[in-house]
Order: sequence, then C-alpha cells, then structure tokens
Amino acid sequence: MDSALIPKGVKRCPIWQFALGLGIVGAVLLWGVYAMFLCWFKGLNQTNMNDYYGFALWIWADLAVIALGGGAFFTGLLKYVIGKDDLKNIINYAVLIGFICYSSALLILAIDVGQPLRSWFIFWHANVHSMLTEVAFCLSCYFCVLTIEYLPLIFENRQIDKVPFVHNLTHTMHEYMAIFAATGAFLSFFHQGSLGGVAGVLFGRPFAYREHLFIWPWTFFLFTWSAAAYGPCFTLLVTRITEKITGKKLVKDATVQLLAKIAGWMMFTYIIAKIIDTIYWATTTAPSLGFTLKDFYTNNPVYGYWILIAEIVVGGVIPALILIIPQLRSNRLLLTLATILAVVGVCLDRWVMVLQVMAIPVMSFDKWVMYYPSWQEVATTVLPVAYGIILIMISYRYLPIFPQEAELNPLAPETPAAVAADAEETVDEGPEADLAPAEA
Amino acid sequence: MSMKIDRRSFLALGVGGAVGTALTPLPWKIQDDLAIWTQMWPWTPDPPGGANTYVNTVSPLCGSGCGVTVRKVGERAVKIEGRKDFPTNEGGLCNLCAAGLQMLYGPTRVPFPMKRIGERGANEWQRISWEEAISMLAEQLGEIRQAGQPETVCCLSGRRYGSMPDLLKRFMTAYGSPNFTVMPSMADGYDMMLKRMHGVEGRVGFDLGKADYILSFGSGLIEGWGNTAYMIRINSLWKENNATIKQIEPRLSNTAAKADQWIPITPGTEVLLALGIAYVIIKESLYNYDFVNNYASGFEALRSFVLSGYSPGNVAKQTGVDQSTIVTLAREFARSRRPLALCGRGQGHVPGALGGYVAVHLLNALVGNINRPGGVWALPRPAMEGWPEPMLDAQAQAGMAKPRLDGAGGPAFPFAEQLANRLPQAITAGRPYPLKALLVYEANPVFSMPGAAAVRQALQQVPFIVSFATHMDETAAIADLILPNHAHLERWDDVAVTAGYNRPLVGLAQAVVAPQQDTMHTGDVFLQVAATLGGSLAASLAWNDYAACLQEGHAAHWADLEENGYWLDRSYAPETWSFAFPTPSGKFDFTASDGDLKALFAPIPAEGDGGSYNLKLIAYDSVRIANGAVGSPPFLIKTVSDKVLEGNTLLVDVNPETAQAAGFREGDAALLKTPLGSASVRVHLSPDLMPGLVAIPRGLGHTAYDDYLAEKGINANDLIGPVEDPASGLDATWGILASLVKA
Amino acid sequence: MTQTGDFGKPKRYGMVIDLDKCTGCGTCMVACMAENNVPFKKDESDKLKSITWMRVYRLTNGKPYPDNEICYLPRPCQHCAGKHEGHSPCVSVCPATATDYDKDTGIVSQIYTRCFGCRYCMAACPYHARYFNWWDPVWPKGMEKYLNPNVSARMRGIVEKCGFCFQRYQKAMEQANMEGRRELEEHEYQTACTQACPAGAITFGDLYNPHHKVHQMAQPDFTKGGRPRNPKAFRLLEELQTNPKVYYMSSKEWVRKAGYKPDLLDHQAAEH
Ligand SMILES: Nc1nc2c(c(=O)[nH]1)N[C@H]1C(S)=C(S)[C@@H](COP(=O)(O)OP(=O)(O)OC[C@H]3O[C@@H](n4cnc5c(=O)[nH]c(N)nc54)[C@H](O)[C@@H]3O)O[C@H]1N2
Ligand SMILES: Nc1nc2c(c(=O)[nH]1)N[C@H]1C(S)=C(S)[C@@H](COP(=O)(O)OP(=O)(O)OC[C@H]3O[C@@H](n4cnc5c(=O)[nH]c(N)nc54)[C@H](O)[C@@H]3O)O[C@H]1N2
Ligand code: SF4
Ligand code: SF4
Ligand code: SF4
Ligand code: SF4
Ligand code: SF4
Ligand SMILES: [Mo]
Repeated sequence: MDSALIPKGVKRCPIWQFALGLGIVGAVLLWGVYAMFLCWFKGLNQTNMNDYYGFALWIWADLAVIALGGGAFFTGLLKYVIGKDDLKNIINYAVLIGFICYSSALLILAIDVGQPLRSWFIFWHANVHSMLTEVAFCLSCYFCVLTIEYLPLIFENRQIDKVPFVHNLTHTMHEYMAIFAATGAFLSFFHQGSLGGVAGVLFGRPFAYREHLFIWPWTFFLFTWSAAAYGPCFTLLVTRITEKITGKKLVKDATVQLLAKIAGWMMFTYIIAKIIDTIYWATTTAPSLGFTLKDFYTNNPVYGYWILIAEIVVGGVIPALILIIPQLRSNRLLLTLATILAVVGVCLDRWVMVLQVMAIPVMSFDKWVMYYPSWQEVATTVLPVAYGIILIMISYRYLPIFPQEAELNPLAPETPAAVAADAEETVDEGPEADLAPAEA
Repeated sequence: MSMKIDRRSFLALGVGGAVGTALTPLPWKIQDDLAIWTQMWPWTPDPPGGANTYVNTVSPLCGSGCGVTVRKVGERAVKIEGRKDFPTNEGGLCNLCAAGLQMLYGPTRVPFPMKRIGERGANEWQRISWEEAISMLAEQLGEIRQAGQPETVCCLSGRRYGSMPDLLKRFMTAYGSPNFTVMPSMADGYDMMLKRMHGVEGRVGFDLGKADYILSFGSGLIEGWGNTAYMIRINSLWKENNATIKQIEPRLSNTAAKADQWIPITPGTEVLLALGIAYVIIKESLYNYDFVNNYASGFEALRSFVLSGYSPGNVAKQTGVDQSTIVTLAREFARSRRPLALCGRGQGHVPGALGGYVAVHLLNALVGNINRPGGVWALPRPAMEGWPEPMLDAQAQAGMAKPRLDGAGGPAFPFAEQLANRLPQAITAGRPYPLKALLVYEANPVFSMPGAAAVRQALQQVPFIVSFATHMDETAAIADLILPNHAHLERWDDVAVTAGYNRPLVGLAQAVVAPQQDTMHTGDVFLQVAATLGGSLAASLAWNDYAACLQEGHAAHWADLEENGYWLDRSYAPETWSFAFPTPSGKFDFTASDGDLKALFAPIPAEGDGGSYNLKLIAYDSVRIANGAVGSPPFLIKTVSDKVLEGNTLLVDVNPETAQAAGFREGDAALLKTPLGSASVRVHLSPDLMPGLVAIPRGLGHTAYDDYLAEKGINANDLIGPVEDPASGLDATWGILASLVKA
Repeated sequence: MTQTGDFGKPKRYGMVIDLDKCTGCGTCMVACMAENNVPFKKDESDKLKSITWMRVYRLTNGKPYPDNEICYLPRPCQHCAGKHEGHSPCVSVCPATATDYDKDTGIVSQIYTRCFGCRYCMAACPYHARYFNWWDPVWPKGMEKYLNPNVSARMRGIVEKCGFCFQRYQKAMEQANMEGRRELEEHEYQTACTQACPAGAITFGDLYNPHHKVHQMAQPDFTKGGRPRNPKAFRLLEELQTNPKVYYMSSKEWVRKAGYKPDLLDHQAAEH
C-alpha cells in the first residue's frame, strides 16, 4: 500500500512487518522519552551523577557517537574533496549515520545540562577560551551541514522528487555538495578536536591533562584523528549489520575494501601517535604534576592497567593490522571483527577520557569514587539508538540510500502476483527478527 | 493528480510557515522569557530586604552563654555571630549557635500552650489559652498543696545557675518542696569534691589560660566540655604558648587528635592511673612541700594508701597504660611550672564516680596548684543577691523538712545536693513518697539520661507532667501540659557563666526578635501561678513580671549588664591557702573527709555479665552533635561524617583488629546488643579506638523533632544505663558490656 | 604577577588556615551555610551530593592503632589564580562565563543566574569545591525567615561554591565609598567562616598587603605564582600550578606532605 513511496527497482518487506518492527523499536524509544521527561521535569536527581561525577554516562555517549559519526565527514572529505569517487556508493549511508549520531549528541546534551532552557547562554555569553564553547558552535554548525547533506536524499524519494521545485533544488544541492562536504570536514576537524580538548585542558586533572601544541592539547589532534579512523569503521559495521538484516548485499566489495583500507591506515598511524602520547604522558607529564601511573591504575575495583591494553592493543593495533593487510581485510569475517574491535576501542578511549578522569582522586586525602548509571540514564542513552534504528528503517525503505542495491539485487520481471509471492518469502527476514542485535 | 497538488501546497505551506515563524521575533522572545523564568522560579524564596541592625546578647542555647551579635534585616534575625568583646568566646562561636536560627525559626517549635487529649505520647493535643494553661497548673499545684503534700512536686531544670533556675528553686521552696533538681553533670562531681576536700560550697574554676601542662582524663576539652567556644579558644592559646596537652581516653577524639600525646586507656580505670601518677609523685618526693606540709591534712593516710597498692607496675596492668608512660607523665606533671589535671568525661553530662574527681584533684593538690595562677580555683556560686529571702509558711516548712526524693543530703549521700540520676528509681519505687507532679524546664531527661527507657517508664507513672520546652522534644511528648517558653533570642534571660570559667561572669540575654509563636516566658508563668496560689508563695514571688525579678536579682550589676550586656568581676582573686579551706582542720583534706579511701577509689564495673558479652560499649560526645536538651538543628547534622551516619543507619566504631576477629568487614550490618537492648547498626573499622571496644556518639536516635533529626542513628542512652557510685550516689556509668553479632 | 606590597588596587584576597589550631569542630561549615543560604536536605549522609562550600576533611597518617594521627583540614574554594592570573581551572573552562576571576580582588565568582549546569567546571576543579544543585532547595516551613537577603537563593540545576563571602566585600566597599574611601581596613572585610571559627584558625586578608596578617603568615612569593616562603605553610596540589589563594600551615611534616604529595598517603579520608 506504501509501494508508491518505495524506490524503483528494489524490494521491501510488507508494510505490516515493517510496522511491527517500528512498533518494537518504538516501544524502546518511548521508554527513553519517558526517562527524558523525568530528567527535565524532576531534574538531574533522577541520575546517579554526583558532585564527583559531573560528567558521566551521557557525556561518554556524546563523545562516543560523535567519534562514530566521524564516518560522515571523513568519507565526505575523501569523496568530494580528495576525489575517491568510488565512495559515492556508501556516502549516503555515512551521511545518514552521521546525521543520526550528531542529532543524538545534541539531544543528549539538552538532557544533560541542569538548565536546558538556558543552554543557549553558551552562545550568548560565550567564553572563547572554553573548549565546550568551541564544541557547541562547531557541533551545531556541522549538524546544519549534515542536514543539508541529508535533505537531498529525502528529496530523492519517488513522490517528493516529482515536485519540480524540489527536483531542481536537489539537483542544485548535489552540485554544491563538495562545498558542504569541505565545510563539514573543516568544522568536524575542530569540534572533534575540541571534544578531545575538553579533557586535555583540565590541568587540575593530571590523568586527563596533556601538553599543548599551539593552543591545543594533544588530545585535540588525537580525537580528530581517531574519529577519522574509527568513524568509517562504524559506517562499515552498520552497513554490514543492515546487509545481514535485509539479507541483501548493498555495497560492492570494492567500495568496502577501499574505505576499510583507508580507515586502517588512519588507525595505524593514529595508534602510533596514541602510544607515543601515552608514553610521554606517563613518563613526563604526569610525574611533573606529582603523579605516577600507579596513582591512576591501582587502589580501585575497576580501573587497572588492563584498560590501557584493551584500548590500545585490542581496540587499536589489532584492528589496524587487520585492515591494512589486504589478505586479512578481504576476509569478510575478519573485516567485521576488525570493525567491531575498532568500535569498542574508540568507545573505551572516550570512556576513559570521561569517567576514569572523574574516578581518580587528585588530593592525596581524597578517595576513588565509583559510579553506575541509573535506569533513567540508561534509558535516555538507549533512546538515540532506538531513534537511529527507526530513522534507518524509514530511510532504507523509502529512500535510495544504496545506489548499488538494485544492481546487486536484480528483481525478476514481475507480475503483481509475483510481488505478493516475494513478499511472503521475505517474511522471515523481516526487520523485527534481526533488529535486536543491531540494538544491542 | 489532485493528490499531487495537495502535496505541493502542503509542502509550500509547511516550508513557508516554518521560514515565516523563524523570521518573526516570536521564538527568540519565548526563548528569552523562558530563560528569565528559570532565573526566578516562583518557588525559590526571595528573602525580603530591610534595615540592617546588629543586636548584642548572650546565647542561652547552652550554659556556656557566649556573647553573640545577631544581625537583623527588618524584623528578621538572619545571622548569629560571635561578640568580639565578650570575655569568653571573643568573637568565636561553636556550630550550635552558628546554626541557632534554625531553632528559632522552623517547624519543631511548640506553637502554643497545649494540653494532652490522647494517650500519653500519642501526640494528640488541644490548643488552650494561656489563661486556661496557667489556671490548670495553679489548680493542680494548689490541690496538692491543700492535701498537705507539697513535697510530691518535683522541678527538673536543665540549667543550674541564673535567675530562672533560682526562681524555680525559690518557687519550690516557698511552695514547700525540697525537690528542685538540676540535670546531672560533672558539676555535681566537682561540687561534691570541693565540699569534701576544700570544705567549700562553691564551684570550680580553672585558670586555663595560664596552665602550661594539661593532663586531661577524658575531658572533651574542645568538644563541648565546659564552655565550648571558650575552650576551643583556650586550646589555640595553649598552642600559641607551646603548652603541653596530654589526653587520656580510649578513643582518638578530636581532643586527643589535637593533643601533644594521646594515651589510650582501658575505660573505667582512669582513677587508677591518677593514683598511679600520685604514687610516683609521692614516691619521688616531687610534690609541693609547702602546700602538703603546711596547708593540707590527711597526707600520711593518702600516702600509705597510695604506696600500698598503686605502683606503676600494678596500675599499668589494669589500665593498659605502660609503666614508663605513667612515670613520665608523673615527672612531667610535677616538674611543669603550671600543671593542671582535668576530668569530667566528654562534655561532662554523666558526672562519673566521685573517686575520679578526688583522685584527679589530689594531683593538682600535690603540686600545690590550687587557688593559684594556672590552677584550680574554688569560686562562690552565682546567686541572685538582690532578692529578699523567700517566706515559708507552715505548709512550706513542713514540706521542706521532708527528705528529697533523690536522697541527696540524706543519710546515704550527705554531701550530695542533687542526684537527678536517682529520680527515676525513686519515682518507680514510690519511695520515700510517690511523685504527684513533675515540672520540666530546659531539660529532656527522657532522651538525655542514661537508661532512657527506664526514665520514660518512671515518668509514665507521674500523674501530672508539665513541660516548658520550646521545641517538641521527647519529654514534652509525654507531658500532660506544655507551656512553651520563648526560644533563645525571643526572651530576656541571664546566663551565669560557670562551666569552669574562673571569674564571676553574668551575661544578659535580651529579646532580639518578637516571639514567633504563642509562647510565654516561663518566669512569668511561675510568677502568675504564684500570684494565683497566693499566700507566702505570692509574697515570695511578688514581682510584676520576670523582667522585674531579673533586674532586682542583679541590682548590684544592672548598670553593667544594661550597658555592656555582661558583668565580669575582673579583679576576682581566689582565697589564699591560709583562708581557703574551711574544713574542720582548716586545711585541704587529702582524704576527702572519707575514712574508707579504698571504697572511694574503687573502680566502677560496667553493667552486664562478661559471659555473654565480649565487648565494651562506650558513648562519646561529638562536637558536631548537640546532645543535651537542645536537638541538633539541620546544619549540625549536615556536618556529621558519612562514617557515622549512612542514611539513618548508625556506623559504630570498632578497632580493625577486633572487627576482623569477629569476622566483620567495613560497612557490615550488625546487631549491637547490651543488657538494656539491641539496635541494628553498621560496622566502621576505625583505628581510632582501643581494641575490644565499640564506640557510638551521644545525641542521635531522637524520636521527636522532624525528619531532619528524628530516627537518625540510635540513642546511646537506650543501650547504656546508669550505674550508681556507692560513695556519692552520682551516676558513675562509663559504658556497658556489649556484643556485636552479624545481622 | 610580580606586584607586591601594593596598597592600591588590585587586591589578592586569600586565607591562611592554621591546621595546628583547627579542632574540626565544623563551625566554619555551619557559619558558611548560614551566611550564604546554603540549602540542606533531610538526608545529608551522602557526601557526594551534600552542598558544603566549606568542607572539613579528616586526614589520617594512615598508620595503625596506636600510631594513628588525625588532622582536620577545612577546604573552601581555593580561588585559584591559575598558571597565569585568571586562568583558574574552572573559570577557563566555563563555556558561558558563568564563573569569573575578578582581577581586582582575585576572587572567583559564580553567577547562578547565568550558569546552565553543564558541570564542566566541576570536572575541572581538583579540590571538589564546586557543588551542583541536584534538587530544588526547600526550607522547612518558617525557616526561610533567616535567609540572608544579600545572597540569592539558588535554583535546581546549577553549580554553586564558596565566593569568599563576596557580598561582605560589596557591603564593606559601599560603606567605604559612602565615607569617601577607596580602601578597606583589614577588619572591614572578613568572611563568615573566619569570624565564626572559635579557634581563630582561619586568617583572611589581602595577600598583596604586607600589613595584612595573611601576607605576614604565608609570605607569598608572587614571582612564583604566590608560592609560600614560610616553610610551615603550603598549598594544596602546588604542582598543578592552580596557584590557590588558600594557604595551610602545619607543624607536622606528614600533614604538609599530604597537602601535595599524592603518593605519600593511602587514598582515604572521611569528612568529619
Ligand atoms: N547540672 C548541671 N546543669 C547545667 C550545667 C552543668 O554543668 N551541670 N551546665 C549548664 C550548661 S554548661 C549547659 S550546656 C546546659 C546543658 O543543658 P542541656 O539540657 O544540655 O541543653 P541546653 O542547651 O541547656 O538547653 C537549653 C534549652 O533551650 C531550649 N531549646 C532551644 N532550642 C531547643 C530545641 O531545638 N529543642 C529543645 N528541646 N529545646 C530547645 C530548651 O528548652 C532547652 O532545654 O546545662 C546547664 N546546666
Ligand atoms: N559544638 C557543640 N557545643 C555544644 C554542644 C554541642 O552539642 N556541640 N552542646 C551544648 C550542650 S547541650 C552542652 S550540655 C555543653 C557541654 O558543655 P557544658 O555543659 O557547657 O559544660 P559543663 O559540662 O556543663 O560544665 C563544665 C564544667 O565546668 C565546671 N563547672 C561549671 N559550673 C560549675 C559549678 O558550679 N561548680 C563546680 N564545682 N564546677 C563547675 C565543672 O567542671 C563542669 O562540669 O556544650 C554545649 N555546647
Ligand atoms: S558554646 Fe556554642 S552553643 Fe554554647 S553559647 Fe557558646 S556558641 Fe552557643
Ligand atoms: S571552625 Fe575553625 S576550628 Fe572549627 S573546623 Fe573550622 S577551622 Fe577548624
Ligand atoms: S578551587 Fe576549584 S572552584 Fe575554586 S577556583 Fe580553584 S578550581 Fe575553581
Ligand atoms: S556548570 Fe555553570 S559554571 Fe560550571 S561550567 Fe557549566 S555553566 Fe559554567
Ligand atoms: S569564605 Fe565565605 S563562602 Fe567561603 S567558605 Fe568561608 S564562609 Fe563560606
Ligand atoms: Mo553542659
């Protein structure tokens, strides 16, 4: 019945199945929305944050999704600016994922601040020395860019596209896309960086503090770099998951391999830089502030040296090697494993840079403080995931996200009956069945 | 076809609309208004301004009576600060007064006179007028007196000196009851000691500022002992003068932590240590020959007694203080220029055995540090000199001739003036006569007396209980009639600063703010009751109002009081040794006029049989918790450590060694049992306590007041009961046998 | 900053706290709460959510019974000057300029109506001197009567902290200006905690002014960010170059070390 909206030449599951999927994810979404309103109306006492954990789960989720969303600006940069044209086959999806990540980030921030109705003071009374100010500006600007990059995709919907004005608009937008992509890359460079700076400038927190290059601490560059390296991995991972769920091949291997290779080399160089940074910090920076590694990794129930290994080796070196060695990369399973390890690695890095910073006592007579999120925090953090899945379901169903889909999944010359028949066949591949793993 | 047009127009409308609105100032205006709204939420109080004034007064909140300056804005009192030119606190305060306005304002005040209508303690009250309230009281007292039993009325006061306690005592005397009693305190012990060693009916003062070596037998010198804020200032003075402070107690209290040396001691054996130190001083002839030979009697008896059984070796075994420490303490003490030995555990609410006061004081005597700079002085007690003698009619004389309920001054305890701790048992026994009425003033015995449960039960038997509490405390809760007094800062009052202060000092408290509730000054209540009862009572309390009797009592110093807010006898000097000791021998009496020194100094065992209990429970006074008649205001409780309260659960201190032996880890839930009862607690492993002990603070476990105080922790007095000192009748309890079992 | 002994502006108000005298009585905490309309809840036993601009820490030498020692350490906001004057850990990160470094007094302010509760400043402060209003403040019926009109009551969702009783500075300056003076006497501007402390353990004044006690006690060296010259004096976390204006004095070496040598103590302390 919604067939009029579905792109030409591709097959989609029946509407009831789609609706069922939406319903299930929608339920999770509503749970998150409920928690969100609790936080807004009752205040942040709904969370397990406290005066030691002013930053907690949400800020971590923010940093994480923004890093993972990095696929958008970097792929854009590669395609439109550097001219890796083959990436056109995945850029749409990269943009969509980026859009989801960044809109989520903004939503989370709106819940995280104690006085959301005043949050625009950050622009009005901006303190140019604050990394958070930089983040706020670049983040909002880049979100606009992403919207602009995402709009044409919406306009390409079969029906919307029939409106001449929109059709022309889309066409024109495509022409200028390179400029937007460049702008996006530029903005991203700064907000990814300043997000790194958020922790790096805390000279009161020896665990987070890093030496500066010009006005920026090392974490500034490390964050941008890691976003460029790990973001694409997330794009690839989500693409893979989508393919599993829809049971279709959506992007050609050439494209996947290209992006994977580039991400691999970015990751490889990044992890070398990260290792150098860690060594310098451990041997020079921290000691100069009166601290030793043991102060950061002992005397507490959770944060041990293992976390360093996990982040740098398991989440960095290993996936990097898999991705840069063609023989390994070309193995579907290893490729997926690498992207998973990478995603875990970057999330772990952001976790450490937020929550371990809060956990470590600075005054000699202070104490380690552990934290676990309240259900309201968890729900509001799951909210964006559900929202993302829904946006992907809708976009995938009604928009030509994967240019190669039709070509990779040719339809048999069909009669109305056949359509129905196909529809039945696709039942067991319906979204609801497999969406769960994507959620987790 | 038509559908297409719809979609087009719809899109146009949508986009157009959005762009349109965005261009109007509307969304921005709304944004701004919302932000402004969040900056002045209607439910966030906005304190009104007004004229700034500062009013000097003294605080009757505790007996320390510090000079304070109250900042007022319009009619509101907004801050209590220390009065820099006041002799004791000199601008400083303790946390209780700093939080004092939370007592003046707030919901736990008794709002108006009330009479009980429900079961006792059911907290069902009926508001009555002051006329009705006073006539009810007068009627009851009148009937009892008509029946010729005035002695069956008892008045229990939390305060000992000043116009109010004196007025109450005067009322009772003229009424015909010997039963005016003050809440127990170390003052009782010191007073009795003075009588028996100095032959003086007076009070002690300590020339603290000049002392250069302080030997404290468990006194919470900076935790509410004596005049709290003053003592803390003195402690700083000691630091500046490099005075030496030795703190002897089983727990690393604040006082011990700030002392030059903490000497842990087995609780209850302090008297032995004092005698052990005396042993060394005598044995090594380190004592003051002039004083001992020329101004003291009974030294030989003492000498042979002490040398017979209190060698450092023996004492070390029983006290847990090693021999060399005992010897060192003795030599240091004796060789210091101005040594001073102090006692009275913690804040001194539980007096302890008389033997302790005598043993500690004889150290001061041995070094001749009596009525000397830096020493212990005997001072005259504060009195309302301006008042004429009360008139006693026949009934009054008959009543006053009766023995006191608590036995003080009787054959068993001739030296005692009052033994409030013995009241509950006397009431329960109904001997020597049943108590018909109890008047409670500025005291909360149901909460603050050891064996609180027994106290409550005893009081339940009293047919008529009247409370004058300003706040709905535990005692007021079981009263039949509550005639709320003005709170501090609402009432005229005087504080005779004693608590060890070594000069006569009286502070004048004035009504800084108008009464916030429908209250009446308790002084006026009694004047009106007396007038109603007429006869010699009316004649003895003939003042028009309390202000008049206050002024007449202080007539000699009223000018000073009005001008400075206090009167201080700066030139006061204690009697010289030749005239200081009106004992039979005319000399200081080392035997405390007691033939049986062994009995006098016998350590008091703790209640409970060792078999089923393997630990000793001790209670301590925390400077962060008010533990007298005043309940801790919210600010005080806020400063209580998370190692003491976790939610409403009390954490008890246990030495790690002891805890591990019993298999307890930090924070484990446990049941704390004593012969009196048990309570659920959590265990806090603390090295700040001797092994084998459990320590809990006093002043928690209120059932009265509101959620900011009630039900937090447990009341130490529910688990620890009184233990009578055979020698004096004083409450000698220092703890109780206990056990901790996994819960 | 190399300016010393300047009688004119600017000032550098600061504190010297004598830990030998501090008894841990907590009066400073209460006086502060009373002066500054600090809210309180029915349960304040969770010290991670308990607003105490002034907090008295309880330091231990970490030794077992009976060699254990305790020292009480009152901790207001340290009013950090930062590596270079004004670059306080918290001020430098606040995105909305809701906390600021006053170049005239050296006082770090907090603008409640501008703060929007992002809590970045709390993450930046190594002294945990900043507190978030997790709840709307509620005063039991009638208690709102004692609120100080010179300090606005805060609302839920924002950060607050010690401001060296800035309102008292303002009042004193008003008074002085009415009398045609530009300068304050040492006694004219004193903080609530300083006044209330019964031990006289807290001294407050202008660190620049050689006639002020704080200057004489701490002997700050402003060529070295205000490092104390007095060997008995120290500042918390000296190495971080937060350059606090709160100095501590102790005759005990383990206490002085605890002030800034993290590895010398086992990480444990309970507020008392
Ligand atoms: N035997 C003896 N008596 C003494 C002394 C002594 O040494 N020995 N010392 C005097 C000294 S130093 C002191 S501190 C006092 C100690 O006496 P406590 O009973 O320990 O407490 P106070 O501070 O005196 O109580 C003063 C009165 O203020 C009123 N009040 C004000 N606020 C409140 C409140 O919130 N709740 C309640 N229930 N009442 C409130 C009550 O009527 C209370 O009884 O005793 C004085 N009397
Ligand atoms: N921070 C803080 N301060 C407090 C409190 C608190 O909880 N926290 N509590 C307040 C309360 S309720 C109390 S009860 C007090 C405790 O302290 P206070 O009650 O004020 O002191 P007391 O123990 O009553 O008296 C101290 C000693 O002075 C000597 N003394 C005083 N008067 C006489 C006298 O007439 N004769 C003789 N011979 N000696 C005398 C005796 O040694 C007496 O025991 O602290 C008050 N201050
Ligand atoms: S000692 Fe404390 S409570 Fe008592 S009067 Fe002085 S300041 Fe007030
Ligand atoms: S008031 Fe003074 S003595 Fe009491 S804790 Fe504060 S600083 Fe220490
Ligand atoms: S102590 Fe904390 S809040 Fe105060 S100035 Fe320093 S960093 Fe800022
Ligand atoms: S919480 Fe308030 S003061 Fe702190 S950084 Fe955010 S806006 Fe600034
Ligand atoms: S200076 Fe003022 S605001 Fe700061 S702690 Fe002391 S009293 Fe509180
Ligand atoms: Mo007392």
